Amino acid sequence: MVIQEFRNAFERRHDLCMSMKREGKGIIGCFYGAVPKEVIHAAGLIPVQLLEDRTERSEEHSGLLPFLCGMSKNVAGQIYQGKYSYLDGIVVGTVCDTNRHVFDIWVYRKVAPFLRLLRTPAKADREALEFYAKDLRKLASELGRISGVEANGDRLRQSVELFNENRALVEEFQSRRESMGINAREGIFVVASSLILPVERHTQLLRTLLSEERPPEAPQEDKPRVYISALNFNMALDLVSLVERYGGEVAGFDLHQSARYACDPIPLDDEDPFLCVAKGYLRRVPIPGVYEFEKRAEALKRELERTEARGIIFLSQLYCDAYAMEHAILMEKMNRWGIPYLKLEAEDSPGSLEQLNVRVQSFIESLS
Amino acid sequence: MEEQLSEARILELKGVLKRLTAGASYRRMLAAHEQGRPICVASAAIPVEVLYAMDVYPVFPESLAAIAAGIGKAEEFFEEAKRRGFSPSICSYTRCGLGISWCQKSAFGPIPEPDIFITDVSVCCLHVTWWAYLEDHFQKPTYYMDMPATDDPWDPDYVAYYEAQIKGMVEFVEENTSAKFELERLKQALHYSDQAGLYWKRILELRKKRPSPVSFRSVAGEILPLVTALGDKDCADFYQALYEIYRDQARQGSCPAKGGEKYRLIWNGIPIWHHLQVITYFEEKGANFVWEPYTALSWGNKTPSGRLDPEEPFRSLAIKYTNVLTNMPLEKRFRYFDEAIKEYQVDGLVMFSNRSCRPQSIGQDEVVELVREAHDLPVLIFEGDQADPEGFNMAEAKNRIDGFIEILEARRR
Repeated sequence: MVIQEFRNAFERRHDLCMSMKREGKGIIGCFYGAVPKEVIHAAGLIPVQLLEDRTERSEEHSGLLPFLCGMSKNVAGQIYQGKYSYLDGIVVGTVCDTNRHVFDIWVYRKVAPFLRLLRTPAKADREALEFYAKDLRKLASELGRISGVEANGDRLRQSVELFNENRALVEEFQSRRESMGINAREGIFVVASSLILPVERHTQLLRTLLSEERPPEAPQEDKPRVYISALNFNMALDLVSLVERYGGEVAGFDLHQSARYACDPIPLDDEDPFLCVAKGYLRRVPIPGVYEFEKRAEALKRELERTEARGIIFLSQLYCDAYAMEHAILMEKMNRWGIPYLKLEAEDSPGSLEQLNVRVQSFIESLS
Repeated sequence: MEEQLSEARILELKGVLKRLTAGASYRRMLAAHEQGRPICVASAAIPVEVLYAMDVYPVFPESLAAIAAGIGKAEEFFEEAKRRGFSPSICSYTRCGLGISWCQKSAFGPIPEPDIFITDVSVCCLHVTWWAYLEDHFQKPTYYMDMPATDDPWDPDYVAYYEAQIKGMVEFVEENTSAKFELERLKQALHYSDQAGLYWKRILELRKKRPSPVSFRSVAGEILPLVTALGDKDCADFYQALYEIYRDQARQGSCPAKGGEKYRLIWNGIPIWHHLQVITYFEEKGANFVWEPYTALSWGNKTPSGRLDPEEPFRSLAIKYTNVLTNMPLEKRFRYFDEAIKEYQVDGLVMFSNRSCRPQSIGQDEVVELVREAHDLPVLIFEGDQADPEGFNMAEAKNRIDGFIEILEARRR
């Protein structure tokens, strides 16, 4: 079954990238989801999001301050351990102070041949769009010098179409996941792999998955259904296990990273595709603060209704102030709507969520 | 040789300083509200000159948080943030500042309901998230002074983009308050701001003298008008008076370090507002802080010429406010340290690893690495928080300072 391929790809992402590199392909790391992968793709390069990895305690190699989030430390540690040695460059799009300023250290330590901080406005008015589009054109030209491929308007338009198609398929998958008999754990890998596989390959796998004949859906027990909003994949998987252990069922999940990628399609409504990409990213990617809280809360509420979830669990990684802020604010909205919620904050390490198991258990019981 | 200041002149100058103390600023805010002036909740590092030129009174939650922490009155604001589910890993200025907004009071008393919110986008990401929350929660018109993260703040396109933001800010204030813009008043505000920045720079240069007459503990408080009142005539007067007083003290050879200035140090980071006695303890040991990026590079006339041009007010403000230290590559930041170490004859560095302020703390180890390579100076690294005293242990801090002083002493022998 194709479903296993998403997990294999995600878990073996470094091997896959090494093999693509050996085939002569250029690979650019994106830190994190606010980097327009379309521009990298249009320059003939493969965009790969830098992601946390729990196989080793990479954060111990980061040399970063103890009060910074584990994700940044983990990614930095992987870089210093040489796990990302296949990268031709890294592009940083600011989502928080840590990811923006870790860039400075990477420049100082020369961790990749090409390092680029995107200048991403917090607004989306005409001036901001043009300012950002200009920086994207500059980025495209810089990337073109790496790949030898000119990321011109036509190529960018084609890339946008490819990514839009992939976004639509991811969305279709999310809406059909349960009816296809795919559990949340497998679903997380389907979405997470969109961040590291070449878009063409991920789309091909998704098409196959969506057209597969699946066994008929087993009758559902009446389990308390919860929705998960989490940033870190490993922690999200741990949370799925905890929810299931205490008799709950994960009705849906909003992995913030994938939400950033699989958000609305980029509108190809302007002659200049760079401006289209600017329109598709500025204030459209759910970054805390830059994306309206009301809009974010409304989207989660709709998801809860669609998936018939009775409550939501917000899972923040310790020292991630951006999501710690957002979750506190979203809780106000959930209160207003009378939606039961649980907010958890933990470090990404095996067993860290175990210490919060009683809270998960009592939340699940309260939904029964 | 110039004469010492007379008692009467010193009293007169101190009278000028009293106009802009934290308490006086609080009373000015109440008076402004009573006069019907619009009140703006503003983040640090917005071009406040524009607000003064438009008779809008700015209230700065970060400054109020620092003051509350400094006088031990921040606890209830932190408690309010905790009660509302705001994690202690969030910046303490943000938690305390939000507490002030929810409670609608500062450490000095009630604060009036604001009319508008304006924030800067570049200094830190929480400036966006925090003000986005204020906008969402209090439903007030909010303006974002957009200045994307960059590692090239000198790029003309970047400066031009910010200049347009300042013009946008003027339109926003006019659309959402009764305030009106007049170019001549902005030019005047720039003149006052320039004067304040000029005297500030002169004060900092007095610290090159041996001994330096200036205590970091004092300038940490005296920097407040530079954050909150630029564009106001009283602010220019304040720094002129302060300069005269320090210049007089410099002539007399006075020095905050007890028993004379034995060691000259750099402090990197925001002061530890809740335990300013840390600085005093250094001074008691004969160590005097003579340069800080926070006082020297974050505030004042941050233009290449060191002056503002009132005839080109928007352009001049754009050049000044886009010059953000934490937007510069680490090597550039090191060069400032390198110059200061030479010019101020520095013996050692104290780096405050501030868990609230990621932009100032990330990359600090790398700057230390460069300093050690170039100067072989001893470095003390403190970890703590700018406004939240949770977990800070003064006895432990003293132990570490004692050890550091011993190293300085040993190097002297």
